[in-house]
Amino acid sequence: MMPRWKGKGLQAKANADPMSKIVSQLQSSLIQFETRGLLSSCSVLVEVDAELADLLNRSCFGRPRITAQEDKQWFQLDMEEAFYLCFSLKCLKVIGEDGSIKSNEELWDYFKSKKLVFPVSYKVYSHLRHKNWVVRSGLQYGVDFVAYRHHPALVHSEYAVLALSEGDNDLNGRLRVWSDVHCTVRLCGSVAKTLLTVIVNSNNQGANSPSCLEHYTVEERTITRWNPERSREDQTGPKNGTKKGVTRF
Amino acid sequence: MKPRWKGKGSQAKANADPMSKIVSQLQSSLIQSETRGLLSSCSVLVEVDAELADLLNRSCFGRPRITAQEDKQWFQLDMEEAFYLCFSLKCLKVIGEDGYIKSNEELWDYLKSKKPVFPVSYKVYSHLRHKNWVVRSGLQYGVDFVAYCHHPALVHSEYAVLVLSEGDNDLNGRLRVWSDVHCTVRLCGSVAKTLLTVIVNSNNQGANSPSCLEHYTVEEQTITRWNPERSREDQTGPKNGTKKDWCNHI
Repeated sequence: MMPRWKGKGLQAKANADPMSKIVSQLQSSLIQFETRGLLSSCSVLVEVDAELADLLNRSCFGRPRITAQEDKQWFQLDMEEAFYLCFSLKCLKVIGEDGSIKSNEELWDYFKSKKLVFPVSYKVYSHLRHKNWVVRSGLQYGVDFVAYRHHPALVHSEYAVLALSEGDNDLNGRLRVWSDVHCTVRLCGSVAKTLLTVIVNSNNQGANSPSCLEHYTVEERTITRWNPERSREDQTGPKNGTKKGVTRF
Repeated sequence: MKPRWKGKGSQAKANADPMSKIVSQLQSSLIQSETRGLLSSCSVLVEVDAELADLLNRSCFGRPRITAQEDKQWFQLDMEEAFYLCFSLKCLKVIGEDGYIKSNEELWDYLKSKKPVFPVSYKVYSHLRHKNWVVRSGLQYGVDFVAYCHHPALVHSEYAVLVLSEGDNDLNGRLRVWSDVHCTVRLCGSVAKTLLTVIVNSNNQGANSPSCLEHYTVEEQTITRWNPERSREDQTGPKNGTKKDWCNHI
């Protein structure tokens, strides 16, 4: 599925301003300001000035939160986003509820305790982010993440991502039965996204520390509907074949 | 969610011709004609004349299959439909691939071997059918069944049914994580159905024979979205609030 840009000139705009460069600028800026995040339940809150707020928005990390303070901007980062900035980009440090800076191992343990599938979920998030995809929560669409080729203001998201695992144990529990596969593919279709399953194999490395992550392997698969009527050589098949295609299952 | 009838007069037509009566007529007709079904993999095929074909269509059992034969009509019954006719309504006998009539226990074992969740799936199917719902496959909608309060030609289906189990083990594997709940509720909403989960508890009775079924208990739950904007006393909330609600009000 080709990326669907949201208007003329936006593809050129994206090409002129690659996501990798924006993320790199964010990384430098966070390091320069020695930004500290505050751990708050399942999120990390960061207080930023206008320049950093702009970089966070342009690179799609976190969500701005409205507060009573007028001169400061607060952003709320999801677990995967925060850990990516801390562990992969090494540009953020997080302060725990006790007031001291958490090491990556401490942060890893903490996030795992909040979300059992965090190791697998993080592997998928970082795998896609490293390839310069913009990765956001897929909650609205009944999946784990949605992936955009650039900023969501410029392009519609192409992929609805489910993080699955094999090996140790499968904690995610999706797509184990046919009705779930069909439900998910149908919903993705209705919101113009391709279902992308990213299957993580921990290779028996366990998940004791974030250093285990580099030994995990990742396999990407898309699941789409095959419509026999559209694959025939004869082009005169019915145009509105979608519903019919489903009943052929 | 009230039933949505398909056009004027459909509701009156349904009221004049209750599903319970049509099913009862089907039952009598099958008994009288000593109809035999043929077991074929995961289906049961029945050869019927015009009268029975009409009753099967009106009561929504099976799907008509086109064959080369002009004077006979063949119907293909799903496992649950066939077992309901055999075991609950006692109006059909099924012949196995060896040419012999299968007892209910033999049929039960066979269907279980094809579909491990069959006991729980059948409990839900028969539970709803006994209450005169028309129950069909929900495959198209990513659920187990869809339930209509009368014939699908007269009414849109109201419920998308998922069969869940607790007790022995949960073979179905749906709705274990939030993303699946959200995915399913959203899809059901987009096809104007309410998600109905029917949770079967086997009460440690096992599933060795169909007689275990009567000791299973069933609990029905609907899962719907709650929209806080529509629940406020102030009526001036935004009308087109659906998309926003997902962002703000999970």
